Amino acid sequence: MKPAIVMKKDLNDFVSELRDEFLILGPRKKRSQHVFSGIDDVQDLDLDYLTTILPPKKLFFPPKDTVLLFDGIGEPVSAPLEKKKQLVFGIHSCDLNGLLLLDKVFQKDISYPRYIERRKNATIIALTCTKVGDTCFCDSMGTGPAPIEGFDILLTDLGNRFLVETATAEGRRLAAKMKTIEAKDSDLKLKTSLVSETKMKFRKKVNTKGLAETLARRLDHPIWKQLGEKDLACAQCVMSCPTCFCMDIRDQWENAPGETSRCVEWDACFLLEFAEVALGGNFRKDRGARLRQFMGHNLSWGGSAQYGPVSGQHKCVGCGRCIRVCPVGIDITEVAKEIGGN
Amino acid sequence: MRDPYLPSTVEIVNVKRQTVDVKTYKVRFAKDQEKRKFPVMPGQFIMISIPGLGEAPFSLSALPEKTDTFDTTIRTVGNVTSVLNRYGVGARLGVRGPYGRPWPVKEAKEKNVLLIAGGIGLAPLRPVIKTIQKNRRSYGDFEILYGARTPSDQLFTDEYEEWRRTPRTSLSLTVDSVPTGVAWPHKTGVVTGLFDDMETSPENSMVMTCGPEIMMKFVVRGLLARNFQKNQIYVSLERRMRCGMGHCGHCQIGGRFVCRDGPVFTYSELEGLPDLAL
Repeated sequence: MKPAIVMKKDLNDFVSELRDEFLILGPRKKRSQHVFSGIDDVQDLDLDYLTTILPPKKLFFPPKDTVLLFDGIGEPVSAPLEKKKQLVFGIHSCDLNGLLLLDKVFQKDISYPRYIERRKNATIIALTCTKVGDTCFCDSMGTGPAPIEGFDILLTDLGNRFLVETATAEGRRLAAKMKTIEAKDSDLKLKTSLVSETKMKFRKKVNTKGLAETLARRLDHPIWKQLGEKDLACAQCVMSCPTCFCMDIRDQWENAPGETSRCVEWDACFLLEFAEVALGGNFRKDRGARLRQFMGHNLSWGGSAQYGPVSGQHKCVGCGRCIRVCPVGIDITEVAKEIGGN
Repeated sequence: MRDPYLPSTVEIVNVKRQTVDVKTYKVRFAKDQEKRKFPVMPGQFIMISIPGLGEAPFSLSALPEKTDTFDTTIRTVGNVTSVLNRYGVGARLGVRGPYGRPWPVKEAKEKNVLLIAGGIGLAPLRPVIKTIQKNRRSYGDFEILYGARTPSDQLFTDEYEEWRRTPRTSLSLTVDSVPTGVAWPHKTGVVTGLFDDMETSPENSMVMTCGPEIMMKFVVRGLLARNFQKNQIYVSLERRMRCGMGHCGHCQIGGRFVCRDGPVFTYSELEGLPDLAL
């Protein structure tokens, strides 16, 4: 399908029409911020947003997910998985790249079937960013502001209308349900110029050239000790990261027979117990070492180094959430600057 | 596709006390079809689970070969192991695996093999000993150095005579301390104290070591000082593991997953990585 144009006022009908087939999710306002959540009323869908509190990772890899149930005599069975297809609206490029990396994390060698199933059952309508938040730096990380892959449909806000581009058969099937007209050359040109303008708006920047190598070579950099003293190890950065995948697996014991379960829950390398082994041994006892693990994983030894080619190369996709949530003002772009690339 | 998070059920068929806090559990798969899908190599590990309590990683101290059972030798140190400690014959457990990169038993063929173990670290090396015993002609000289805290902390003591009787095999023992009144005809001190009398030289040899990371640090240093190369020293690392499959992230050292890229590494693979005691 050639690029098309849908008027903003006609998008609502499209969303309403898909409700029978899909569980519709997208950004909606929650007090002064936005969250990805179920969209019951089309009016709640707000595509004019900067960043959501949590990335859409949570739709595929929920903060707590029951993986096993134990029957009355303790025999385990796989927990059932919701079957309805998800349609996720309005994913920004940083978060989309986050999902593309998680796709690799959760199917390297042995797959994490619950994540993979949910991803297979999801249709993604991505959104080109034309606004830049104070903490955004996807441009530096090579992951935005315009999505390049990983979506079924891509929307770009052109004022009173959206440019509609499709990348998959599913995307073409759904876009056919929209009330569209063919896009003109001028619409495509407008997108290109909007993206260039957007790229000029980034205030936070990271020089990634040689950064991964320098960080890995300078594990003794004084910044880890300095920031380790300031750092609260509260792990909000990890909890809000679109590519952090660490999890704990714990059993939830219930007194009633057949109700005990095993859950996967988000975990964080910032927490003291994270690297603890038997007899109290701990390979990352210092906060500085834990901070180095988070930053090093994001800027040096994660991403392509761990999982083969990913568009941004690094685990960090530049969404800026960790900067926004940090109560003591630790800023990954400042850390990168201090370490320094080439 | 089978859910990789779903454990198979095994039944304990024998429990043997090794030391005051270590027991060897012999287990058998409860269902026939699951036995056949357990191709395990020396040095790989499994996740053992107790419903309602959780899972923990353990190495195998004997592989299922002619029989359909395998052994795991466990020290009582945490939640899962404390409950296991109360389990006897007939109790059922969940098992997932095997996971991880094994000891280089194939690569070591035609070479002299030196094993250096500390404490419970002898357990994951026992399948290597068995493999070499069984295929004795395929390997060169075989030397085992074992250090424990005290004589009564040594594992598999009833097998030492058999190990020593194996052609071209030597076993040297040391303990950190000997309680008064206990006869101890061997060395005392740390395991590297056995290096002066060691027969294995760097030429055409492979070293496999497992024990506390601080012990392995001194083992590696001692070997390097004796001109062993970094890529002929294999260590097995312990890290917190929740999944064993490269998902949970706990065992990462830099970009390496101990569960997937290890637990067995050459020392050269680990050089320059963060958060190592080695």
